[in-house]
Amino acid sequence: MAPERRAPRILALVVPALPLQRILRSRPTAGPLGVVSEGVVCHANAPALAAGVRPGDSLVQARAACAAMSAEPLDPAADRASLRALAEALMALSPAVELAPPDALLLDAAGARLAGSDAEASERTLAERVLGICRHMGYQGQVSVADGKAVALALARHTGRERTRVAPGEGARALSSLPLEALDLPLEVARWLSAVGVDRVGALAALPAETLAHRFGAAGAAAGRRARGEDSRPLVPFAPETFPHERWDLDGSDVGVLSSAEPLLFAVKRLADRVAARLAGRGLGASRLRLTLFLDPRGEERVDLPLARPGAEAALWLVPLRERLGGLRLPAPVRGLDLAVVEAAEVHAEQLAVGDRPEVARALDVALSRLSARLGDGSLFAAESADRHRPEAAYRAAPFRRAGTDRRAVSGEEAPTGRPTRLVDPPRPVVALGEGGRLTALRVEGTARAVLAISGPERLAGEWWSEPFDRDYYRARLEGLGELWIYRDGRDGRLWIHGFFD
Amino acid sequence: MGTATRQQEVLEELRRQIHRIERRPARREGFLASGRPEVDALLPDGGFPRGALSALSGGPASGKTGVALSALREAQAGGALAAYVDGRGELYPPAALALGVDLARLLIVRPERGPPRGARDRDRDRDRDRGARDAALPGLWAAEVLLASGAFAAVAIDVPLHDLPASRAEAMLRRLRAAAEKGGAAALLLAAPGGPAIPAALRLDLDGARLRPRLRAVGGGEDGRGA
Repeated sequence: MAPERRAPRILALVVPALPLQRILRSRPTAGPLGVVSEGVVCHANAPALAAGVRPGDSLVQARAACAAMSAEPLDPAADRASLRALAEALMALSPAVELAPPDALLLDAAGARLAGSDAEASERTLAERVLGICRHMGYQGQVSVADGKAVALALARHTGRERTRVAPGEGARALSSLPLEALDLPLEVARWLSAVGVDRVGALAALPAETLAHRFGAAGAAAGRRARGEDSRPLVPFAPETFPHERWDLDGSDVGVLSSAEPLLFAVKRLADRVAARLAGRGLGASRLRLTLFLDPRGEERVDLPLARPGAEAALWLVPLRERLGGLRLPAPVRGLDLAVVEAAEVHAEQLAVGDRPEVARALDVALSRLSARLGDGSLFAAESADRHRPEAAYRAAPFRRAGTDRRAVSGEEAPTGRPTRLVDPPRPVVALGEGGRLTALRVEGTARAVLAISGPERLAGEWWSEPFDRDYYRARLEGLGELWIYRDGRDGRLWIHGFFD
Repeated sequence: MGTATRQQEVLEELRRQIHRIERRPARREGFLASGRPEVDALLPDGGFPRGALSALSGGPASGKTGVALSALREAQAGGALAAYVDGRGELYPPAALALGVDLARLLIVRPERGPPRGARDRDRDRDRDRGARDAALPGLWAAEVLLASGAFAAVAIDVPLHDLPASRAEAMLRRLRAAAEKGGAAALLLAAPGGPAIPAALRLDLDGARLRPRLRAVGGGEDGRGA
């Protein structure tokens, strides 16, 4: 007989009244409000409750109690998306996060004890951090840490406390006083138990396992195991499939509030914080963001934000966003915003070297973000040598990385000598002037300049397979101008200025 | 109780002070050697002042870019970063490498010039004229951001100042000077002869034909056209 598997330590996070919290996230100052499904109020906010509205009331009853109550339809898809967003952010804390719709998430808490020698303190710390991220994402949650998914979930949902922790092996005792619905049993089993007067988990746990198995088969046996706190089911990890985005739709009366850059930036900051938390949870950094402003009554304005380095720090995004929003002239009021990650890359923690200063690294990140957002990410680069003979192709642009991550020895690459500091692109034509077959001057942009010295040629030719070139390069010192890099094109014999030794 | 509270307050105050200090990149003081003995010999204290704007003036082949690149190499010597704002799009990185500049630690900022991508043909000539001016302003803005950040030990700035109205250019250059003072970087402005007044602490005229640098003005005067 195989030994019974021990129940894993699970942290359950429940977001009570998630549909209502989701709506209030973007409307913190809403008046009486109820979430309605099929004509019945599912959830009501504090002003509506104070006015006498109760969950379970029909919409007519609710309106009779509070005529000013606004009704929002239940949107299970949006709620599920919110749950997925929260799961993404929590992936930073646990190796596995499982969705437990409609309002809960389950986290693997077994790793928490790695954070310290005291398992209890570590689990409490994990619970605090989960609640912190939950608040950061705009939700109030309740957590419990216990053995197994069912026990943790039941305690988080039904104790009514913000934090619950049950020591290993104590699950059955903690569950015993809870109502039977805490176990989320199959309907048939729940009805029968209710009919025979079993209304507490403790009473169900006391029933002989054989009786339940005989009456309901596998479902009955499973119900008995749950009641006794026996649940060794592993987590089913959630794997996000798309890059995160966060949206904020303004209530009708609020349209027009975001008319200038500052309030707009305030709204964007909330979205940016949430998007950043979701990215951080997945170990990703955004390299390109897109802010879409939905205008009233129609139309939209898009702001693309290329970022110099992939990152998940909202503060770094806000500096260039402030500049971009400051320059926007919107033709209509804003009725909603959406901040989406368009491109992202994995980011790894950087090891600072001795002498590196984090504040300098941060200042660099801010500066690069601002430049990249205003000028485009192709406008800033670090050059790399390229193995090409054609002078204008002898280097290529490479991403500029913070020095701490890419320390190369100075002059580690071989550099060709005798190259000008400035390259003229495209080359400018020049006319040779001479006496008796001897070059005496060059006409540069209409002015004849005496040739004081000239050396060369250095023949550069090749690339016959694509765009062949054949050039004889000279270094010429001209009166009143200095040293120039000129070449004679082997194909037609014409002279060109290609650079200055400035 | 009193002692413990006092100790806690002192610790909190120290934490705040450390946080304040850490948030501000260290301001660099002193001078940055040019890397050319003949130039260093001319400069007061043997280098370009950090936290100030210096102008390197000369024609297209006067040697000013070489001096600036040598100074950037010196700035990198301590492991710091350097930047080159290439508003003209002419910097040839292989030459910088040959001069000893660590290209991995050199940020090149090259604002896009000329007509925007996708412009119609008949708009191209007009846009090409506008391109130079359009590169000067973003170039100066980029230089200001880099200098004020405090993340770069030295920033060389090469933008076509002649394409801007003098008053506009001078206002932008005053901002550059303030940014250099804020960030502590050595700002090296490459300028053609003439042009707008440069509020530089130091101006060095270079003449490539004779390869003899000449110090024209030293001090924080508004008009760096000559001394």
